[in-house]
Amino acid sequence: MLYLLRKLGIFVFTLWVAATLNFILPRLVPGDPVSVMLAKYQGRLDPSAVDALKIAYGLNDLGSPVAQYFSYLGNLVRGDFGRSISLFPTPVIDVVLRGLPYTLGLVGITTILSFLLGSALGLYSGWRRGRAGADAVVPAALFLNSMPYFWFGLLLLYVFAFQLKWFPLSGALDPFPGDAFSVGWWGSLARHAVLPVLTILVTSVGGWLITMRNNVISVASEDYLAFARAKGLSERRIVNRYVLRNALLPSFTAFGMSLGFVVGGSILTEIVFSYPGLGYYLYQSVTNLDYPLMQAIFFFIALAVLLANLLVDLLNLILDPRIREGRV
Amino acid sequence: MIQPEAAISTDPEAVPHTLEIVGLRKVFGARGNAGGVVAVNDVSFSIARGEVLGLVGESGSGKSTIARLIAHLHTPTAGEIRVNGQPVPARLRGAALRHFRRQVQMIFQDPYASLNPLHPVRYTLSRPLKIHRLSRGTMDAQIGALLERVGLAPASTYASKRSFELSGGQRQRVGIARALAASPDLILADEPTSALDVSIRLDVMNLMLDLKDQEGLSMLFITHDLAGARYMSDRVAVLYAGTLVEIGPATEVIDRPQHPYTQLLKSAAPKPDAGLVPEEIAARGEVPDLKALPPGCPFEPRCPHAMPECRSGLPQMYDVGHGHTARCLLHDPAIRLNRGGAVGAG
Amino acid sequence: MTVISAPTAPRRTWKNTALGRFFSSPRSVLGAGLLTLFVLLALLAPVLTPYRPNSMEFDAFMGFSAQHPLGTTALGQDIFAQFVYGARLTLLVGFVAGLIATFLSVTFGLAAAYFGGRIDEAINTLINVFLVLPGLPLIIVAAAFIRGGGVWPVILVIGLTGWAFGARVLRSQALALRERDFIAAAVVSGEGALRIIFVEMLPNMAGLIAANFFGAALYAVLSEAALSFIGVGDVSQVTWGTMLYWAQAKGALLQGAWWWVALPGLSIALLGTSFAFLNFAVDEISNPRLAGGRLNLPSRVPAAVAAPVAGDALLSITGLDVGYAAPTGVVRAVRDVTLDVQPGELLGVAGESGCGKSTLAFAATRLLDPPGGVLGGSVRLAGRDLLALSPEELRRVRWKEFSIVFQASMNVLNPVLTIREQVYDAMQAHGVTDRDRLNTRARELFDLVGIQTSYLDAYPHQLSGGMKQRVVIAIALALEPKLIVMDEPTTALDVVVQRQILQEINAVRKRLGISIIFITHDLSLLVEMSDRVAIMYAGEVVELAPAHRLYAHPAHPYTQQLMNSFPPMTGPRTRRSGIPGRPPSLSAEIIGCPFFERCNTRMPGVCDVQPLQTFPVAENQTAACFLYDPAVPAAVKESAVKDSADRAGVVRAGAVRDSQTVLATRPRPSSPGGES
Ligand SMILES: Nc1ncnc2c1ncn2[C@@H]1O[C@H](COP(=O)(O)OP(=O)(O)O)[C@@H](O)[C@H]1O
Ligand SMILES: Nc1ncnc2c1ncn2[C@@H]1O[C@H](COP(=O)(O)OP(=O)(O)O)[C@@H](O)[C@H]1O
Ligand SMILES: [Mg+2]
Ligand SMILES: [Mg+2]
Repeated sequence: MLYLLRKLGIFVFTLWVAATLNFILPRLVPGDPVSVMLAKYQGRLDPSAVDALKIAYGLNDLGSPVAQYFSYLGNLVRGDFGRSISLFPTPVIDVVLRGLPYTLGLVGITTILSFLLGSALGLYSGWRRGRAGADAVVPAALFLNSMPYFWFGLLLLYVFAFQLKWFPLSGALDPFPGDAFSVGWWGSLARHAVLPVLTILVTSVGGWLITMRNNVISVASEDYLAFARAKGLSERRIVNRYVLRNALLPSFTAFGMSLGFVVGGSILTEIVFSYPGLGYYLYQSVTNLDYPLMQAIFFFIALAVLLANLLVDLLNLILDPRIREGRV
Repeated sequence: MIQPEAAISTDPEAVPHTLEIVGLRKVFGARGNAGGVVAVNDVSFSIARGEVLGLVGESGSGKSTIARLIAHLHTPTAGEIRVNGQPVPARLRGAALRHFRRQVQMIFQDPYASLNPLHPVRYTLSRPLKIHRLSRGTMDAQIGALLERVGLAPASTYASKRSFELSGGQRQRVGIARALAASPDLILADEPTSALDVSIRLDVMNLMLDLKDQEGLSMLFITHDLAGARYMSDRVAVLYAGTLVEIGPATEVIDRPQHPYTQLLKSAAPKPDAGLVPEEIAARGEVPDLKALPPGCPFEPRCPHAMPECRSGLPQMYDVGHGHTARCLLHDPAIRLNRGGAVGAG
Repeated sequence: MTVISAPTAPRRTWKNTALGRFFSSPRSVLGAGLLTLFVLLALLAPVLTPYRPNSMEFDAFMGFSAQHPLGTTALGQDIFAQFVYGARLTLLVGFVAGLIATFLSVTFGLAAAYFGGRIDEAINTLINVFLVLPGLPLIIVAAAFIRGGGVWPVILVIGLTGWAFGARVLRSQALALRERDFIAAAVVSGEGALRIIFVEMLPNMAGLIAANFFGAALYAVLSEAALSFIGVGDVSQVTWGTMLYWAQAKGALLQGAWWWVALPGLSIALLGTSFAFLNFAVDEISNPRLAGGRLNLPSRVPAAVAAPVAGDALLSITGLDVGYAAPTGVVRAVRDVTLDVQPGELLGVAGESGCGKSTLAFAATRLLDPPGGVLGGSVRLAGRDLLALSPEELRRVRWKEFSIVFQASMNVLNPVLTIREQVYDAMQAHGVTDRDRLNTRARELFDLVGIQTSYLDAYPHQLSGGMKQRVVIAIALALEPKLIVMDEPTTALDVVVQRQILQEINAVRKRLGISIIFITHDLSLLVEMSDRVAIMYAGEVVELAPAHRLYAHPAHPYTQQLMNSFPPMTGPRTRRSGIPGRPPSLSAEIIGCPFFERCNTRMPGVCDVQPLQTFPVAENQTAACFLYDPAVPAAVKESAVKDSADRAGVVRAGAVRDSQTVLATRPRPSSPGGES
C-alpha cells in the first residue's frame, strides 16, 4: 500500500518537524528563556525548579546544540517532557493528560458534529441551488465563519451565563459534581459543555458548509450526474450514491487540512469558558511563561491533529477506489 | 532487408536532410532500470528538404512524444537527432538553443490551448521576432506580413485580437504564423487539424501545403487520419505502440499497406468515397500496455497473421520496394517460402 | 483519436466577463463596499475623532455622550477613538500579513510547478507539513517568544505560517497551466524561464491569486485577534484584537459595557465577511461553475398545430425551438427543427461543432439543464408528448422508452461505484429488483456488446475508453428501449475501436429492432451506417435524405461542400478546398439562409432576404435551400450555379491567400458545386 506508506511517512516527518520547531523556537529568541522565567518567578522558584529548567533547556551541561537536540528527541520518544514551572513540580505530561480528555471530548466531538452538520447543510444548499433558502445560507455561513470564536463565546457567556444564568460561567464540572460517571456528574458535565459546544458549532459550521456546497456544485455539473438522471434514477438515489459520495471525498481532505485551524479556534473557546482542556493550559502556560508546558501542549495538539489526518487518509482509502489503486 | 534509415546521408555530396532521427527512445517515469512507459521505442526516420513526412498512429502511440523530443521539449532516453546534418546535443543552452529554436518550430493540436488567452495576436507574433532578433522592417509591418501570409487579412484587425475572439481555424492560422515567424527549416505539426471542424480542415491543410511549397519548408505532419496524411504528405510513417511499423511514399503506404496494422487502420477508417458498404474489420483486443510491451512484435497479440516467430523478437524493417519498408515477418523471404509464398499482407 | 470540441461559450470580451460579472453579484458589491467603509474609517481616523486612542485622560466607564459617542474604557480611553484608530492596525495586519502569505504561496506554488521534479517534491512536502501543523498553537508558541515590538512581529509570524493553503491551490493550478500547450509554444519560441513564469503563467493565475489574498487576509485578521485576545504580541498597540483583550481583562461585560466587547468583535467579523465575500466572488469568476445566477428564458410556446399523429413514426419532433439564456441575449441553438424517426430506423444527424446537435438531443430527451430551455415545438414519443410530462412521469419513461449515450462517455460513469452497481441501478430504478435477474441481465448485456463479464466488478478507471463506451451502450440497452439517442458516441475513440463499436451497435440494432438517432460531426461515417441522414447547420436541419440518396445526390450546397471537404482515401491526389468562413452567431437573428455567407451557389436578393423554408427535392429528400424553391425563377438559379466556381474563388480569397501558384503543380480541383 504505497499510498498508506507515503501518508505514514508524511505523518512521521511532520511530527518530527513539529518537535524540531519546538526545539528551535526558544533558541531563536535573543537572550535565553530561562533567565526570563527566572526573572518572572524571582524568589518564588525553588532551586530544584531552577535545576529542572536548566536541564530542560540543556543549559546545565553546555553540550553542543546537536547533542542537546538529540537528548531532546530522546526525551520526547520516552515521553519525558520535563516538569511544569507554573505547577511545579508536576511533570508536564501529567498536566497534559489531565487536560486531554476534556479537549478530546469537547473539540473532538463538536468538530465532527460540526463537519457533519455543515456538510449536510452544504449538500442542501448546493443541490437546491437557485432557491432562496439554499442561497441565503451562503452569506450567513461566510459571516459566521468570519466571527472570532472567542468573541462569540464571550457574547454567549454574557447573555446565557451572566445575564440569564441558564448555564455556569466557567469550568467543566461543578466543584462537587458527585461521583464520577454518576447521573449528577454527567448532568453537570453536560451543563458546562453546552455553551462551549454551541460556540464551536456555530462558528465552524459555515466553513464546512461552503466547502461542501462548492463540491456539490462541481459534482452537479459532472457528466455522470446527467447520465444518472437520464437513467431515470430517483432523486434520493442520485443524492446518496452519486452526489454525496463524490462530493464528500474532497470535503474529507479539506476536513483533514483545516483541522489544525479549527483546533486553534477551539483552544480559544476553552480559554473563554475556562474549560480545563489543553487550550486552557496552553493559555495558562503562555501567560505564566511556562515554556516546558507550552511546548508539550503544542506537541500533543500537533500529534492529535496529525493522527486525525491519518484517519482521514484511511477513510479516503476506503471510500475512493482510485486511491485504492494507487492512482491519486 | 536493409535498414534504409541507417544508410541515410552517407553520400557526402548530398544536401543534408533537414531532420534525421536515429534510434530515438523515450521512457517516461522509469525508476532506475525498472518500469516506465516506453512511449517511443527505437524510432528512426528522416525528412528531406522540402518534404512532408506524415506520422500516423492511434492516440497514445507516441506521435506527440516524438515531436516533443525533436522540439527539445523532452530529453530522449536514447538515440540521436540531427538537424541539417548537425547532431543536437542532449543539453542545449544559450546561443546554441536559440539557434536550434530558429530552425525547428512547432504547431500544436489544440488551437484553444496553444495561444495564451491573455495576449493579443500581436504580442504572440512579436515574441519570436524579438527573441531571434529578426528585423526586416518595423515590427508592425512584419506582423502584418505574417498574418497575411496565413490568410488573416486585413492584418490590422487580427493583430489586436485575443485568442477567444477568434474561431478555431483563425487561431490555428495564428499558431502557424507564430511557427513561421522564426523562418524555420522544419515545422513539427502535431495534429494541427484534429481539433478543427471538417469544413475548415482542408483550408488549413492547404495553407500549410502552400507555405511548404513557397518556402521549401520540411514538415513533420502528425495525424491519426490516414486520409489527411495521404492528402498532405510525400511520405508516411506508421507508428504502433511507440514502434515504427511502416514507412514509405504516401500513396504506397496508404494505397498498398504492407503491415497488418496499417491494413487494419485503413479498413477501420471512414471512407466517404467508398460508398455505402461498411467494411467489416477483424481486430481483437486493444493497444498493449506500454509498461509491459510484448517481447516480439507489439502488434502480435492482435494480428490476424500472427505466427510463433513473431514473439521471438522485434522484427526488422523489410524492404517491400518503391522505397517502402514494413516491420513484419511476412516480408521475410525465409518465412515467405515456408508459407508457400502466400503473403497475407494485402 | 483526440478531437477536442470547441468551447461553446458565446463570444464576449474579457473585461466584460470578469469585471462585469464581478459587479453584477450583490455579494461582491457588498464585500467591496464594506471593505471600502473600513478603509475610509481607518484613513479618516484623525478627522472622525479629536482624541488619541491611547490617552487615558478621561473617567473610566463613562456611558454614551456627545463627547464620547461610545463612552470610555476602564482605563479612561475614548472607545470610539480606539475603534477608528484600531481599524488602522487591524487593516494593516490583514493586508500586510495577507500579502506576505500570498507572496509566499505564489512563489512556492509557481516554483514547484515550473521546475518540477525534485524541487516540486520538496516544496510539496513542505506544503503538506505546514498544512497539517496546527496553525494557531504554532503561532501562539512562536509569538510567545517574541516580546513587545509592535505589530510587526505578529504580522511576520502570521504571514510566515499562513501560506501553505494558498500554495497548495496555486501549485495545482500552476501545474495544470504548465501542461497547457501555450507554455510549450512559448518554450519552442525560445522564451526564457523568467518570462514564461511571469508573463505567460502568472497573469493567468491572477483570479486565483486575488482570491487567495482575501482568504489569507481573513486568516490574518482572525489570527491577530486571537493572539491579542490571549495577550500574545504587543497589547499596548491599539487593534480591534487588543481592544477585546483589554475589555476582557478589565471585565467590561461584568461592568455592563457590553459594546466595548461587541463593537470590535462585530467589526472583525464584518471585515472578515467582506474578505470572504470578495474571496468567494473572485472564485466564482474564475470558476464559473460556482456562479449561481439564473437568467430567464421565455417560456415554451407549444407547436402551433397539434402535431399530426404521424402514422407510424416512433419519435416525432415538430417545430422544436431551443435556446440558452446568455448574458448577451438568447442563443437560439435549435431553430424550428422537424424530424421523425421510424421504428427500427437509424437516423444520422451531422453538422459542424456548435450547430446544435447536442442541444437537439438533450431537448428531445428533456435532459436540457438551465440556462437551456425549450422555446417552442413539441416532441412526441410513441404518441406521448414528452415535453408535457411531469418529472415523475418522465423519470418512469426514461430509459424504459428511450435512453441516451452521451458525447463525453469517458466521464459518465460514477468513479466511486463499481460497473455492476451502475448497470444495476438503471434496472432497479425501473422495478427490476431480483438480484438473480439483475445479474443474468447484466451478463447478457456484456456479452451483447462484447466485454468480458468479469469487468462487471471493476471500477470505471480500470477500463479503457473503448470499454467504457461499450459499458455505456450496454447500460443504454438494459431495458430494451425503443429508441436510443447517441451523441457522438465514438468521437473520442480511435478509428479501430470506433469501427468495432459501430459494428456492435449495428448488430444489436438489427437484432433488437430499436431505433437510433446517431449524432456525429463525421459525415463520412454517417453515410456508411445510417438509413436516413439529417444535416444541421446553425441550428436548422438544412437537408434530410436517405443515406444513399444523400451520398449520390446531395442537394443542399452545404452538404455538397461538406462532402467535398474530406480528403479521399483512394484515387488521384487532388487539391480540394474546405468551406471558407464560419457559421453565423446563434445569438443573432438570421434573416434568410444561414449558409448564405459561405455558399458558393448563393442568390443575392433571394437567399438573404426571404424567410427560409424547406423544399422537397426528390422523394424522401428535402432541403432548406432556395435552389429548390419553385417560386425562384430558373434563370436566377442557373446563373448562380454557373457562377459558383468563379465566386468560390472570390469568397475563398478572404480566408486563404490564393493558391493558384500551387494548384499549378497539382491537378485542378473539381468544381465543388458541379457535383449535383
Ligand atoms: N509527460 C509524460 N509523462 C508520462 N507519460 C507520458 C508523458 N507524455 C506522454 N506520455 C505517455 O506516452 C505515451 C505516448 O503519448 P503521446 O506521445 O502523447 O501519444 P500520441 O500523441 O500518439 O497520442 C502515452 O502512453 C502517454 O501516456
Ligand atoms: N450552456 C450554454 N449557454 C449558452 N450557449 C450554449 C450553451 N450550451 C451550448 N450553447 C450554444 O449552443 C450552440 C449549440 O451547441 P451544441 O448543441 O453543443 O452543438 P454541437 O453538439 O452541435 O456541437 C453552440 O453555438 C453553443 O454556443
Ligand atoms: Mg498526441
Ligand atoms: Mg455536441
